[in-house]
Amino acid sequence: MLTYIARRILQGAIVIVLISVGTFVVIRLMPGDPTYLLLGEGEIRITQEQMEAIRARWGLDRPHHEQFFIWAWNLLRGDFGDSLIRKGIPVRQMIFEAIPVTAILNVTSLALALLVAIPAGIIAGVRRNSPFDYSTAVGSTLGVALPNFWLALMLIVLFALYVPRWLGDLPLVGRIPPFGLKSWQGYILPILVLTTEQMAVLTRVMRASTLEVLTQDYVRTAYAKGLPNTIVLVRHAVRNALLPVVTVIGFRIAFILSGTIVVETVFAIPGIGRLFTDSIFRLDYQVVQSLVVVLAVLVVAVNLLTDLTYAIIDPRIRIN
Amino acid sequence: MTAPESTALNQQLTATADRRSEWSQAWRRFRANRIAVGGLVVILLLALMAIFAPFISPYDPIDEIFRGMRGGSPTLAHPFGYDHLGRDLLSRVIFGTRVALLVGLLATGIAVTLGVVIGAVAGYLGSWEDTLISRVIDTLMAFPIIALLVVLAAVLGPSLVTTVVVIGMTGWARFARVVRADIMSLKATDFVTAARAVGVRDWRIIWRHLLPNVMGPIIVLATLGIGGIIILESALSFLGLGIRPPNPSWGGTLSDGRAFILRYPHIAFFPGLMIVITVLAFNFLGDGLRDALDPRERD
Amino acid sequence: MKQKQTLTRRDFLRYSAMTGSAALLVACAPAAPAADGEAAPAAAADEAPAAEMSGPKQGGTMTWVGHQEVAGLSPAFMGPTVHWVMIINIQNPLIAIDEFNQRELVLAKSVDVSADGLTYTFQLHEGVLFHDGTELTADDVVYTYDYYRNPDNGAPIVGSFTGIGSVEAPDKYTVQVNMDNVNAASLASWATVPIVHSAYHAEVGEETYSTSPIGTGPYKLKEWRPAEFTELEAFDDHFRGRPNIDVLREDIVPEPSVRMIALQTGEADSAVWPLLVEDSIFLEEDPGFVNFRTLANSIKHFPLNNSIPQLAEKEVRQALMHALDRQRIIDELWNGAAQVSHSNLTPASPYHHTGLKQYDFDPQEAMALLDGAGWAAGGDGIRAKGDQKLSFTITTITGDQARRPIAELAQLMFADVGVDVQLEEAPVATILQGMREGTMDASLYNWTYGSAVEPDPFSTLHSSGGNNFAQLNNARMDQLIEEGLQVVSYEEREPYYHEIQEIFVEEQPVLNLQFDEWMNVFNARIKGLPEGPKNSSMYQQAYKWWIEE
Repeated sequence: MLTYIARRILQGAIVIVLISVGTFVVIRLMPGDPTYLLLGEGEIRITQEQMEAIRARWGLDRPHHEQFFIWAWNLLRGDFGDSLIRKGIPVRQMIFEAIPVTAILNVTSLALALLVAIPAGIIAGVRRNSPFDYSTAVGSTLGVALPNFWLALMLIVLFALYVPRWLGDLPLVGRIPPFGLKSWQGYILPILVLTTEQMAVLTRVMRASTLEVLTQDYVRTAYAKGLPNTIVLVRHAVRNALLPVVTVIGFRIAFILSGTIVVETVFAIPGIGRLFTDSIFRLDYQVVQSLVVVLAVLVVAVNLLTDLTYAIIDPRIRIN
Repeated sequence: MTAPESTALNQQLTATADRRSEWSQAWRRFRANRIAVGGLVVILLLALMAIFAPFISPYDPIDEIFRGMRGGSPTLAHPFGYDHLGRDLLSRVIFGTRVALLVGLLATGIAVTLGVVIGAVAGYLGSWEDTLISRVIDTLMAFPIIALLVVLAAVLGPSLVTTVVVIGMTGWARFARVVRADIMSLKATDFVTAARAVGVRDWRIIWRHLLPNVMGPIIVLATLGIGGIIILESALSFLGLGIRPPNPSWGGTLSDGRAFILRYPHIAFFPGLMIVITVLAFNFLGDGLRDALDPRERD
Repeated sequence: MKQKQTLTRRDFLRYSAMTGSAALLVACAPAAPAADGEAAPAAAADEAPAAEMSGPKQGGTMTWVGHQEVAGLSPAFMGPTVHWVMIINIQNPLIAIDEFNQRELVLAKSVDVSADGLTYTFQLHEGVLFHDGTELTADDVVYTYDYYRNPDNGAPIVGSFTGIGSVEAPDKYTVQVNMDNVNAASLASWATVPIVHSAYHAEVGEETYSTSPIGTGPYKLKEWRPAEFTELEAFDDHFRGRPNIDVLREDIVPEPSVRMIALQTGEADSAVWPLLVEDSIFLEEDPGFVNFRTLANSIKHFPLNNSIPQLAEKEVRQALMHALDRQRIIDELWNGAAQVSHSNLTPASPYHHTGLKQYDFDPQEAMALLDGAGWAAGGDGIRAKGDQKLSFTITTITGDQARRPIAELAQLMFADVGVDVQLEEAPVATILQGMREGTMDASLYNWTYGSAVEPDPFSTLHSSGGNNFAQLNNARMDQLIEEGLQVVSYEEREPYYHEIQEIFVEEQPVLNLQFDEWMNVFNARIKGLPEGPKNSSMYQQAYKWWIEE
């Protein structure tokens, strides 16, 4: 088991190196020069020498491989470098300020989603073709079908603008601000949007895998042995049905980024999604590179955990 | 079916079931599922709409600008209202069906094919092939696709082909991962061990015994995928990688209307509604197919 | 500076479409709904004595919304509007250009320019305190100018200081700037750069300074989260008196419709970056809001790369001008809130040339010009000359929802005369590089080619200008620009700038569309706002305002 984990960590390290090289190359393929943004959009009476001085100041005049090794070496020592745009702010600080924001939103919505999705999926699977199954199917299908920035805008228009106008403040919640996380009410809409999608995806997967498992031989055998329904369900069905859900959660970690970009942009939340797109659009190389590596480490770790979870849930998978 | 395990195993091993009757049985099961049939009908209608768009749409979607009608509200003659330049929104939405279906189906096709093949190979063979493929899968899944998309937009120039290929080539990892995990799990079962012992060739085991068993989750993922991809197309339009104007696409029209959501909400509303309807239809169809095709649910 | 001359803050010239002045336009705009007494801006036009406590009230929080993150708070970042509104409230310049395009002395008590235009002498106010309690002296000014004009420090505003030879402090309250070359435009640029606390800046360095600035401004930094908000609090010992409003806050909200909702719900009091024209006009009709319309200096235009074969001939560019129905663009896509541009200089400029050639919408004329230049209509409807198709790409800024429809409409207008235009989107950094280096065909931008006050178009029309998007290389143009900067009096300068405009409309290096009306909306609870401002720089006067619920 230990050697397995060690090997996986090594493999993870390889993935991370591949990703960091890939990102480094890819972002430099993009046409555009961040120096121009440093100068601002303004009317610039600037000479070529002044321009070079700025480039030299930020190390942009060095050969690419040299820039890479400088960055990689610093990264290994825990120094993520400085942002090209937000000068004076270490990239590490930018990233570690943004991560908790995104993490809170996503963990909360994932937890809420699981809380609903697992029981809903199981019941829908067991009581197949019941009214509950149909309404779950329609609800979760709809949840997946809603483009999230559309949903986000609609919710803002509705809850921040019209609801207070029609009804005044909401009971318990009060007034929902249109953007930002200044108060706890600010979390309501972003989490609602994120939860809608997660819940829909997870319910579908849970229902599908419950159905899958219920037709497996060992479940049939268990029923055949005359074991009570609930025991069969919990002991055999649910545990195995959770496998695909674990997979989906595992891969959704990587999707956090794309999922939250829209939500963070619309609700003006300073998380990693916005940091990432802002930095890409401003060619802030240091931030993009480092952020990708941090996320890669996260994803690799989650993947490892997913596989280990598999091994625990499904003892048929031998680790060797 | 309560047949003894050995009979089931026997059935799986010999695999003599008549294909034609299998399909007709599946069709019978599918037909009984009204929601799924409804989904299929909607998709067929959408396909017809895409094919015959020039005959159906009341106005020219690109050149016919109604002066002074920018963002105009729906009327009888223009049931979806006018777009952000003053063109008939209904006509643009009808033509947009083409892009949505093309992108959704082609990209999903690429992703699923790649994903199933690669995942099956990795899961079945194990050893170094698995290790290599798993690392590629991990890398792809850990790499923010958005970054790739933005860069490709800048390097290749946005177009329909770019959109389809990029989404397809980057989207296979999730399918591969699920297939691989399921195959790994199934490989350890008795019927595979037995099949191997009997000397059935590997590809045959994968094709006849393992793949049918993993198609359930794959169909679920793929149907969700089509919808997701249609939605991704709108996200791409927002990032500047979508279909280039003046050609109409739902995603493009939706993001055209995004800034005007307060003044001219219908511009974003109608393409959004079409996206929702289409994604719903594909998902209902997928569920129906799943129920119909699953070989282990015969009664 | 003996003659009455208005100056513009360099920033106006720089950043897209910030400023402008057009009394006539403001007059015909239904500005603040005067019918409703409450909504009309309380009179505080000239010298609203902040010390007088009868009218203005102390307290409260005023929130502004911006569209992009505030990357830093040192003077180096003063370019973009979202930065400038915060920076200028933390730190003060020697001179400001107010919202009426008038010069306003801030830290300087007086300014004296030598007859040869080579020496500028400033007398500073005494007893001006920094936020840490130390007194501002001439050394702080010398340090600030010397630091930011030194190319080795890599400050983006280094270009503002062009022409300065040395900066000296003859005594504690006197600053003398010695120029190497006369530069008629220069006082407006560097004199408006805010002054930093020299000892502190020298100690912590520029990078740390930009995260925690210390200035003499009416507000001091309280909390700063670049992508989220910047919060300032009143500085009790500000030399012009303590500001009325306790807290000044700028929230960063990228989504345009959400900024609008923030204003509508009272979550924000003003949008420092304009809302959609439609949204601004919607609020203008609401008595709860005040909308200021000011004519922009910048032209909304398609910069064309004159060095690519399709666009190298002036006949083609002239034909493109005739193919554009510019009034239609304004009427249908800009709610009429703009003026067709017939010159590179705004009508508000005293140098504006009224006798110029005008390009009316005339597709026939456009086609005749193209035919005459040898661009024959091809079978696919696209004109060509030999193997070269008359086709080019207009790259607009990613997510620029407000301006892109203009490119879409123009695309159709160009198609009518057989010119093929492709539309793409790209991030600003990509466009800036592509247009500056001539690797991109065309874009859609707001940019100044000379402003209401300073007609110099060096950066955009001179062959070595930093923003010569057109890749224009016209010897006569270069000569006129260089010589025009060497003369100071209005009468002497006029011929230069008239000829520049004549060359501009003959060559049409860019396709100039319109001068926008810039709109700044305020919640009517903010009192003390200016009446009939001519540019959008009123945010530097926030210390005079107060809140009345």
